Amino acid sequence: MKTRIRPGLALGLVVALSVITGLFLGGCATMGFEKPKSALTLTDRGTVIYLDKYEFKRPPSDWQLLKNLEGGDFELGFLKIEKGPFPSQSTFIYDDAPFGSSRDLETRAKQYCTRFLFNSGVLPDVKKQDNVQLWGQPAIAIYLEGENPNRDEKARSMVYLVKMGDRIISFALTQWRSMQGTFDQEAFTQFETFVQSFKFLKKSFRENFEDELKKAGL
Amino acid sequence: MDGHQRDLYLYERLNAKVLGVSMDDVTTNKYFAQSLWLEFPLISNTLAWMGKAYGAYSDKPPFAPDGSLLTFGRLTVVIDKKGIVRYAKKGSPNNQEILELLLKLGKEFRGK
Repeated sequence: MKTRIRPGLALGLVVALSVITGLFLGGCATMGFEKPKSALTLTDRGTVIYLDKYEFKRPPSDWQLLKNLEGGDFELGFLKIEKGPFPSQSTFIYDDAPFGSSRDLETRAKQYCTRFLFNSGVLPDVKKQDNVQLWGQPAIAIYLEGENPNRDEKARSMVYLVKMGDRIISFALTQWRSMQGTFDQEAFTQFETFVQSFKFLKKSFRENFEDELKKAGL
Repeated sequence: MDGHQRDLYLYERLNAKVLGVSMDDVTTNKYFAQSLWLEFPLISNTLAWMGKAYGAYSDKPPFAPDGSLLTFGRLTVVIDKKGIVRYAKKGSPNNQEILELLLKLGKEFRGK
């Protein structure tokens, strides 16, 4: 014999379940399950502020923010994944301690290029290198390209090394494509906008540390 | 190691000397130092007594029971001018933490 649920009782059950679910979800809000705060805050200047540290023009929304987790190799970045049969992607990276140690820009550029894309199997060639100014600071712009035929992959990069007092910092865009693929010039334009708009809102640890050393007479 | 080389100018202002220690032989260390443009000395401690003395092996001896050589774990040690170990931490070096400690020690020794 089939048990029939009376319509009135079914509605009662739905209402009761809704109330219970509502109570449970309502409890979550008070239990701390809140949406995490975005690392990027929009300004009325058409820029974003990243963790109260940096301000810049955000690349279009198809670029995802890459946050540095503890021990990461960079400070912040953006990633764009291209749809298609080959795992093509592009990345912007800001690194406050790029590879190498020289505080001379030309020497640091040489050091930096020996390890750039080191783990990818691509050995990029420097196609062009220019001495430039970025926000009034001396900088070097490096254009690189390389291939890894074993992975049917090629990469094109643009790097800025910028001298900031006693430190050298870097910005890098790398675009990965299949050997038959074409590079997307728009990403390089977006990277340029990102870099040119970049502002430091706080002193870095080392800048503050040097102030401390001066205060201590060291 | 290149992180320490980047901060060498700050270590110098703090009157601190950086020494790297590894179980590799002198030739290997020489080429390693060249590849990272290191300007501070690397000690070739092939008999591994330093790693043992400073606890780089944790609870492991430098040689496995079958006689094969174990390698050092990564360890950063700060020794003050009296020879007292003031800091020892395993894993990748945290340069900010080390610089802050060196500044504190510098102030301590200068009586500030």
